[in-house]
Amino acid sequence: MAPLRKLLDKIAPLFEEGGKYAKLYPLYEAADSFLFTPGKRAQGAVHVRDGMDIKRLMVTVVIALLPCTIWAMVNTGWQQMAADSAHSVAFAAGLKASWQTALGLGALAFLPVYAVTIAVGGLFEAIFATVRKHEINEGFLVTSMLFPLILPPDMPLWMVGVGIAFGVVIGKEVFGGTGMNVLNPALTGRIFLFFAYPSYMSGSVWRILPEGGAVDGVTGATALGELVGHGDVAQLGYSWSDYFWGLVPGSMGETSAFCCLLGAAFLIFTKVGSWRIMTSCVLGLTAMTLLMNALSAGGSTEAIQGFLAMGPEWHLVLGGFAFGTVFMATDPVSAAQTDRGRWIYGFLIGALTPIVRVINPAYPEGVMLAIIFMNVFAPTIDYYVVKANIRRREARLGV
Amino acid sequence: MEFSNKYILGFSLALCLVSSLVVSTVHVNVREKQIENAAADQKSQVLQVAGLLAAGEKLESEEIDAYFEEIEILIVNRVSGEIIEGADADVDSRSAAKTTAGGSDAPEVHAKATGVKRLANELRAYRIQVEGHECLVLEISGNGLWSTLLGYIALSPDTLEVRGITYYSHKETPGLGGEVDNPRWKAQWPGKRALNADGDVLIEVIKGKAKDKDRQVDGLSGATITTRGVNNMLKLWLGEHGYGPFLAKQRGAL
Amino acid sequence: MNKATKAILVDPLHVKNPITLQVLGICSALAVTTKVETSLVMSAALTFVLVLSNFSISVLRNKIPGSVRIITQLSIIASLVIVADQILQAYFYDVSKELTVFVGLIITNCIVMGRAEAFAMANPPGKSALDGLSNAIGYSWILIVVGLFRELLGSGEILGRTVFATTAEGGWYVPNGLMVLSPSAFFIIGMIIWVQRTLTPDMNEEA
Repeated sequence: MAPLRKLLDKIAPLFEEGGKYAKLYPLYEAADSFLFTPGKRAQGAVHVRDGMDIKRLMVTVVIALLPCTIWAMVNTGWQQMAADSAHSVAFAAGLKASWQTALGLGALAFLPVYAVTIAVGGLFEAIFATVRKHEINEGFLVTSMLFPLILPPDMPLWMVGVGIAFGVVIGKEVFGGTGMNVLNPALTGRIFLFFAYPSYMSGSVWRILPEGGAVDGVTGATALGELVGHGDVAQLGYSWSDYFWGLVPGSMGETSAFCCLLGAAFLIFTKVGSWRIMTSCVLGLTAMTLLMNALSAGGSTEAIQGFLAMGPEWHLVLGGFAFGTVFMATDPVSAAQTDRGRWIYGFLIGALTPIVRVINPAYPEGVMLAIIFMNVFAPTIDYYVVKANIRRREARLGV
Repeated sequence: MEFSNKYILGFSLALCLVSSLVVSTVHVNVREKQIENAAADQKSQVLQVAGLLAAGEKLESEEIDAYFEEIEILIVNRVSGEIIEGADADVDSRSAAKTTAGGSDAPEVHAKATGVKRLANELRAYRIQVEGHECLVLEISGNGLWSTLLGYIALSPDTLEVRGITYYSHKETPGLGGEVDNPRWKAQWPGKRALNADGDVLIEVIKGKAKDKDRQVDGLSGATITTRGVNNMLKLWLGEHGYGPFLAKQRGAL
Repeated sequence: MNKATKAILVDPLHVKNPITLQVLGICSALAVTTKVETSLVMSAALTFVLVLSNFSISVLRNKIPGSVRIITQLSIIASLVIVADQILQAYFYDVSKELTVFVGLIITNCIVMGRAEAFAMANPPGKSALDGLSNAIGYSWILIVVGLFRELLGSGEILGRTVFATTAEGGWYVPNGLMVLSPSAFFIIGMIIWVQRTLTPDMNEEA
């Protein structure tokens, strides 16, 4: 690393004020601070508790995402092999021989999406940083990691680029950049893609189908997309534990509830992710699902009745709920900031998720819409929590 | 400025008078043209489903009327399937169905599946005799995901084959269910088997790619509910509670 | 042209634009801008109503009793709107079918009532008609720009003519479904406001 440090120091004057490339300082600064510990630390009370700065916060999240990322590659490759007769030999030969193949195939699918996300999203970050003369924020590390993980593996790459561009610009920069954004940028990008290109995002064929392979008889539909049609978990073709471990078709990083749990444990242990939000999300989902179970006889068709009657243990492992709860709902910028507010915020995310999933057949994935919806309400929740606090204290004082 | 109550009253009266005069004059003058427009619009939908008019193509009302010289509008008794001679061809069966005299309750299975709760006693059909485009055009309707889809289906004169389908009104999701009016999707329909000789409905939209190309149409990807809506309404309108008896009579007559 | 007339004519196009600064008439701007054609017809209908309502209210301005002021304005506007709607139904049937109730809803378009109350009640007929015209143009150009983007990105066409050949017709362009939905107009109007305020920082409210 030393020669690199020297090089950076040597070219530093070019980028500092008065230097030839002073305009591009944010780029230099970004490269420098991603590679080395920044020379400066936050001076005021921004996010500071101990030595924790934004960089460490974001890197912690990236580490928490590692199990999901690795699993994203393994499962994507695995789903492709399951669909491909050419690999059926390896597939049948048992798990052990196939893991590496799966990982390799999956990496071929995942890495281009990740690369496009970094390139396009990074470009827009850089443009805004240069024009607005602020530094490129480490937050983009997390956004760019989250975004590919919540996309289906068969997403065309240009759509990935359009999506992350929208997420970065409309989700974050129009509000003034990191820390000012109302919405989670990665989720904003996904929602944009969901509405703009619905046939790619509706969960009907979320598997990379091998060229020339046996296409007939391949169903790669996601569980939530299917359940809208028949409402019967027995017809899904996968068991509960398949969904728990995540060996099923779906958005790349979100299939495995287990990997999300690992991430959650790490985030809670390092106190980076709010355990209040995660817990209340699960509580909200469970409560609402139990209520829907009780009312399931009122469904207008058998499919809806069956879907309404589906137990909470299924809702917890299906679709993106686990991933959304652990990594999206807890986004420190767009979530509620007060402890009591976090309980309310998480509970409502959890409660809204099954409502969207079951009652609105057009939008099979409810958690995404629930989180973005509550993102919008988070400041309002905080406002009333703070107000209530003030009132309580006034009452205590007898003002 | 102060105004007396009398003035205010007079002013208001005069204003109302002038306004209503203006509005009603305009209305009376353009009314005929409006009715003509609505009729021509409906007729060109019929021409479209029969393959006489490409989607988006426009015809002058004289040209439409020229086609309609060769199109017979049939009013059909839904239950017996008999053609009612001399009936008023302008009857709107969808609103007639809601009246006690003009309709009856749809069987619950169909009502649940299609959202069509009342069935008219008299249905409208078109018999098209333009050379090379001979067919029967039937009105179909039923719920999709967000809205009621209204459309036409064209069958061959022996009623066994589909000649075309079109939806002229719906509010389905653009890109998903909204693809019901995609010309490429509609192009799959002509030539499919609609019914068997006993009048059972064969035509079906299935999820994914059609396997039995004879009678199945590719599903609209990501639009489970709209697809199901299309199937349900075909089952209703081509079946025994819809145009079934009429279609059976047509087959028998050949 | 003196300064005051020029201000009446020019301000509503940019710095006092009814949509992007006053944020009026948003409802129809969202609903009818899926295509350029509908935007154009809606703009024409609004121009017709706004110019004539401003003019006729201004003519009557000294005769209208204060106690029935609002209802008088409303009846004049409503009559004009119905006339516009009837004419569209007779001569532009296809477009009026797509505009559905939104021509009728010009009655509730805040721009019309707003200009009547704020301008026509206090200014002579000539000026009022001019004010109506310039506000209508300010409304129209936003609608047309939004319509342009939405039709081009949402279906690859402009005025019904193919610009980007869509995949459904064997071309390369995948239509952006969001652009067909109303919220996309929010994004586009938001972007226009962003550009306008970057170019003219005077339009920013004080923080």
